[in-house]
Amino acid sequence: MALLDRRSRRKAANVAFVAFCTGAAVLAILTLFAILFSLVVKGVSGINLDIFTMSTPAPDSRGGLANAIVGSVMLCTVAMVGAVTVGVLAGTFLAEYAGLNRWTSAYASVVRFLNDVLLSAPSILIGLFVYYIAVKPVHGFNGWAGALALGLIAAPVVTRTTEDVLKLQAKQLRESGVALGAPMWVTIRKILWRASQGGIITGALLAFARISGETAPLLFTSLGNQFMNLDMTKPISNLPAVIFQFGLSAYDDWQRLAWVGALLIAATVLSINIIVRVLSQEQKRS
Amino acid sequence: MSDSKTEVYESFVEEIPADTVKLDVKNLNFYYGKNQALHNVSIPFQRQSITGLIGPSGCGKSTLLRALNRIYALYPGQRAEGQVMLDGENVLDRGMDLSLLRARVGMVFQQPTPFPMSIYDNVAFGVRLYEQISKADLDQRVEESLRRSALWNEVKDKLNTSGLGLSGGQQQRLCVARTIAVRPEVILLDEPASALDPISTAKLEETLVELKADYTIVIVTHNLQQAARISDHAAFMFLGRLIEFAQTAKLFDNPKATRTADYITGRFG
Repeated sequence: MALLDRRSRRKAANVAFVAFCTGAAVLAILTLFAILFSLVVKGVSGINLDIFTMSTPAPDSRGGLANAIVGSVMLCTVAMVGAVTVGVLAGTFLAEYAGLNRWTSAYASVVRFLNDVLLSAPSILIGLFVYYIAVKPVHGFNGWAGALALGLIAAPVVTRTTEDVLKLQAKQLRESGVALGAPMWVTIRKILWRASQGGIITGALLAFARISGETAPLLFTSLGNQFMNLDMTKPISNLPAVIFQFGLSAYDDWQRLAWVGALLIAATVLSINIIVRVLSQEQKRS
Repeated sequence: MSDSKTEVYESFVEEIPADTVKLDVKNLNFYYGKNQALHNVSIPFQRQSITGLIGPSGCGKSTLLRALNRIYALYPGQRAEGQVMLDGENVLDRGMDLSLLRARVGMVFQQPTPFPMSIYDNVAFGVRLYEQISKADLDQRVEESLRRSALWNEVKDKLNTSGLGLSGGQQQRLCVARTIAVRPEVILLDEPASALDPISTAKLEETLVELKADYTIVIVTHNLQQAARISDHAAFMFLGRLIEFAQTAKLFDNPKATRTADYITGRFG
């Protein structure tokens, strides 16, 4: 009797647990779909050729998002180039060289701790910091400062994921490179990085997704620009700041543009994610 | 039988002619941090022959192997004292160029570890590090290495596909091919067949027996039959000490140490 009782209790607990997990997953997915749905509904109608050919307009006049799109692409590209370079090298240090001796391992724990702090630092603080080191001294908002702020947000993500995927590689993979007479740095460059490629790219994408919608740090740094500008030393337009400004405005056409901008960011992040997944799947198969 | 610390470890080491010794280990002590893993091990490895290292888990046979190409130097807490003479040169010397040493003393690991690149590039990897040779010569070297490791016929039509796509046994022979492609003098193998099925194991053993004409081969194995089948000399280790070293037939048929006899008759280990 007691046995039967315990069995049915266990079954009930199991069912309840599965139901909770499923419910939580459904909730998360529903939220995501709700966001995507409203983005599509409100954004798609505003998409036309003007969006990609004309700059942000004055209220009640014809215009698009060309300056903001170009600006965002420039800022994110520069930021990602910097963040991936620094992040991959720093992550490699943490994973491969930290154990070299007492000093490197002490240094590595400090770096790892600071990286974690930076990883969770509010982006507005980073914007403020960059404002003081790269905007105020030159007396003007500029694109480089914006890229620097975004880079500072992206780099810790890349660092962390690089360290994690490198540590996942088998010890013997390292040893077999070294056992062939390859110095450690060649082994890292030609074997370990290649073996970790998928994970490192995923990390970089995660970082890209994170910075592509960052608004606060850009308000302090590259600010925005009503016109098309390719000069990184000048204020530069960008999608998040435009969304922020236009979305809160009282003008219907500005609000419509804000929705289009939001849709563009979401679509870009989503499609890059999908492309990379497909590519890495294919690579695994070959 | 007791394993108290006061016990004397008798060691029986058969002499081999000095001019046939390729690698001579003398009074080797090895430490993992404060733990001593090898105690005064002295053992000669004969050129153009296979020496099998046997013993229960944790007896130090892999540690001994890893001292021979100083692969342990990757890990800061590990150190070796004593002498490992490779053609009269002490491998443990501070000034030793480790990369060059490892090109001379190759190593194959327990788990097959193909690099994430094509079969061709796997084999060419080590060659490209040290030699500037023409594409034709490199092609030839790759083919020769794959032939010698008995893999050529299985992969000759797919040299440009990933090495990760091969079966476990093929991957391990790829690792052997990669190692002999750099033309080392010594090949160390750390339980190379433990992850392989019997057919792949047989192929690998055949390969090793053919290779010994040109190389000094040292193989760590858990498999006593394997040691008996392919090795010319065998060494039995126990608790970080070398208990007995002799010609394989002698060691198996007529062991001098009781411990060796106990181990090979399956009384412990």
